[in-house]
Amino acid sequence: MKEEYIMARSRWRILAIMVVAFALLAAACSSSDDTTDTTAAAAGTDTTVASGTDTSGEVLKVAFVHVGPVADKGWSWAHDQGAQALKAEYGDGVEITTLESIPEGSDAQRVFEDLAANGNTLIFGTSFGYMDPMLAAAENFPDTVFMHATGFKTSENMGNYFGAAEEARYLSGMAAGAATETNLIGYVAAFPIPEVLRGINAFTLGAREVNPDAEVQVVWTSTWFDPPKEGTAAESLIDAGADVIAMHQDSAAPGQAAEAAGAGWVGYNTDMTEFAPTAWLTAATWDWAPFYITTAQQVLDGTWKSEAVYGNMADGMVVLAPFGDSVAQDTQDLILVRESEIIDGAFVVFTDPIVNQDGESQPLGDIFGMDFFVEGVIGSPTG
Amino acid sequence: MTKRRFIVEPRGLVSWKVRLGVPVASVLAAFIVAGIFLFLTGVNPIEVYSEMLDAAFGSPRGISETLISATPLILTGVAAAIAFKMLVWNIGGEGQFILGAIVASGVAIWLGDGVPSILMIPIVIVAGGLGGAMWASIAAIPRVYLGTNEIITTLMLNFIALALMNFLIFGSSSPWRDPEVSTFPQGRPIPESARIPEIFFRLTGGIFIAIALAVFAWYLIGKTRWGFAVRIVGDSSDTARYAGIGVARKILTVFLLSGAYAGFAGGLFVAGPVGALDPRSLDLGLGFTGIIVAALAGLHLIAIIPVAILMGALNNAGPSLQAIGVPTATVTMLQGAILIFAVAGEFFINNRIRRPDIEPDEESEVTPVLEEVEPA
Repeated sequence: MKEEYIMARSRWRILAIMVVAFALLAAACSSSDDTTDTTAAAAGTDTTVASGTDTSGEVLKVAFVHVGPVADKGWSWAHDQGAQALKAEYGDGVEITTLESIPEGSDAQRVFEDLAANGNTLIFGTSFGYMDPMLAAAENFPDTVFMHATGFKTSENMGNYFGAAEEARYLSGMAAGAATETNLIGYVAAFPIPEVLRGINAFTLGAREVNPDAEVQVVWTSTWFDPPKEGTAAESLIDAGADVIAMHQDSAAPGQAAEAAGAGWVGYNTDMTEFAPTAWLTAATWDWAPFYITTAQQVLDGTWKSEAVYGNMADGMVVLAPFGDSVAQDTQDLILVRESEIIDGAFVVFTDPIVNQDGESQPLGDIFGMDFFVEGVIGSPTG
Repeated sequence: MTKRRFIVEPRGLVSWKVRLGVPVASVLAAFIVAGIFLFLTGVNPIEVYSEMLDAAFGSPRGISETLISATPLILTGVAAAIAFKMLVWNIGGEGQFILGAIVASGVAIWLGDGVPSILMIPIVIVAGGLGGAMWASIAAIPRVYLGTNEIITTLMLNFIALALMNFLIFGSSSPWRDPEVSTFPQGRPIPESARIPEIFFRLTGGIFIAIALAVFAWYLIGKTRWGFAVRIVGDSSDTARYAGIGVARKILTVFLLSGAYAGFAGGLFVAGPVGALDPRSLDLGLGFTGIIVAALAGLHLIAIIPVAILMGALNNAGPSLQAIGVPTATVTMLQGAILIFAVAGEFFINNRIRRPDIEPDEESEVTPVLEEVEPA
C-alpha cells in the first residue's frame, strides 16, 4: 500500500513540477511576448506569406527583426514606423515581414537565414546583439543584403547603421537644465557602453550650457526594456532630489514615475508625450524612414554598397521631439537656434580637449569608444 | 453502494501499445484542441500547422536547425528524467546548464590554442558535466545528509547561476569577457579547436554526442546492476534499505549525475553553435524545457530523444509563424496544451475506465506487480 501511495504521490509531484517548470519557462519568454497578440493583428495587415516562391522580380521583399515588441512605443516601435513609411512609399512594390521579440545571440542566426531562404533580399536587424549571428548568416547567404543597427562589423553584403543621437541629446539637455530648480537631473541609463555614455555626456553639456550649476546623476538598470525596473530607478532618483528625469531606455516607465511625482521628463526614441503630458519636456528621437527608403531604393537599383552609415540631425535620422507645454518660450528659442547651428555644422557637441568628471582636461579620443563622463555627471562610467 | 456508470481501475501490466499510443494520441489531441482555438481566433489552423511543419522539417536546413535546438534538450531532458526516476526533484537543470557552460568555456579559454580538437572537445564537454555536477552538489549534499527540500534549493540556485553568468560578462572584467569589444560586453570566443565541427548546414556533431550520452544513461540505469539498485531506491527506499542498498549514496550519485547531464548540455552548447559564454545565447530556458521533455517522454530515457526533437521543432517554428501574421505566443500555447494532454494521458496509461457491466479483457488479469520493476 505504501508503495502505491508513494507512486501516486510522485505522479502528482511530477505534475506540479511540470506546471512550475512551464510557468517559469513562459515567464522567461514572456516579458516581451505578452504584447505580441495586440501587434500581430496590426502586423498581419502588412505582412505577407513568406512562401519562398518568389515569382516576380519587381517586388522587393524586406524583413525587419526586432528584439522587443514593436508596440513598445520606444526603440522597436520607431524602427517599425520606418518600416511602415517604406511600405507607404512603395506600396505593392515591397513585401515587408516583421519579426518581433526575437532573442539576441546565436539562435538569431537561424531566424536571419530563414528570412533569407524565404526570398527576402533586404534584411534589417535592429538590435546590437544580432551582430555576430547576422554576420554568420550573411556569409551563408551572399546574395542577400543585411543591415545591422548599432553595431560595428560589416562584410561584403552586410552594412551597419546608426545615428548621432548625441546631437538631439544635447538639445534635450538644454531643456532639462532650464527646467530643473533643484539643479539635480536624474538619468536612468541601460548599460555603461560608449553609445549610452555619449548620450549622457552630450545631455549634461547641454544642461550646463543653460544652467552651469546643474548636475546629472546616473543610475544603471542593466536592461534596455524593463518597465518596472526603469520606473523604480526613476523614483529613486526623484527621492534623491532630482526634479527632472532623463533616460536611455525603451519604455515610458521613467516618464510615468516623473509624472506621478510632479517632476519633468526628457524621453528617448519617440515622442512619448501621451504617457506623461505634464512632465514631458522633449526628447532625442529617431526617424528611420528616410534611411530605410533610401536603402531599399539602392537595393532595387543595384547600387547598394556595404558601408557604415552614421546619420544625424542634418540628414533627418535624428530628430528633436516637440516641446512639452512647460518648456518656456525663451528656452525653446534658445534650443532652436542651437539646433540650426548643429544642422548647418556651426556647432559641434563634443570639443577636443574635453573636461572630464574630475574637472581635468583630457583628449576627446574616439567618440565611438567613449568611456568617461564629462564634468557635471554624478555616477560611475563603468557601471 | 449505488451502481456507477464507469469504473476507474489501475491497469495491470501496461502493454507497449498503450505506453506508446497514449502519448502520441495526447500530442495529437493537443494539436486538435489548439487548432480549434486558432480557428476561433480567425486563423486557419491547417495553414499554421503546415507552416510549422515546413519550418521545422520542410527543408534540409530546417531539419538541421531543429536538431540543433533538440541537442541541448536531449541532455537537459535526460538530466531531469534520471533524477525524477529516483524521486529526486532536481528542477535546477537551468542553473546546472549555465554552470556547465561557464566551466566548459572557462576551461577552453584557459587551455587556449594548441590543444588538438580530438582532446579539446572531450575535455570541454566533460568540464561542462563537472560544472553541472558541482552546482547540483550544492543542493544534493544538504538533501541527502540534512533532508533539505531540493525543489526549493535547486530552483533558487537557477537564479544564482544566471546572476553569476551575467556578473562574469556584464559586471566584471573576468577572463570570460571579450576584452577586444568595448561597445557592448560579450563573451570571449573559445579557441577554434574547442568547437565541434559543423557536419550538415549549422548542425554540429554535437547531436550524436547528445544521443550517445542519452543511450549511455539508458544503459546505465536500465541494464546495469548499479542501475537496478537505483531503480529499487526509486521505487521504494524502504525495500532498498532492507536489501542492503546504501540509499543516501545512491541518491547523491544520481543527483550529481543529473547535474552532470545538464552540465554536458551547457558544455555542448558552448562548444557547438554558441562558441562563447554569451548570456544572450544561453539564457533560453533550456533547463526548464528539459523538465517538460522528460515528463512528456514518461521519464523514458530513449523516448526523450524524439520528444526533444518535437520540442526543438516547436521552438523554431515561432518566428516562421510571425511571418504569416500569427503571434509567437501560439507556440507557447501549443506547448502548454501538449503538456496538459500528456499529463492527462499519463493517467490513462496507468488506469483504465470501463463500464461495470462489461468484463475487462485479459490484459488486467495479470498481476500488477511487474510494473514496479519494469526497466527504464
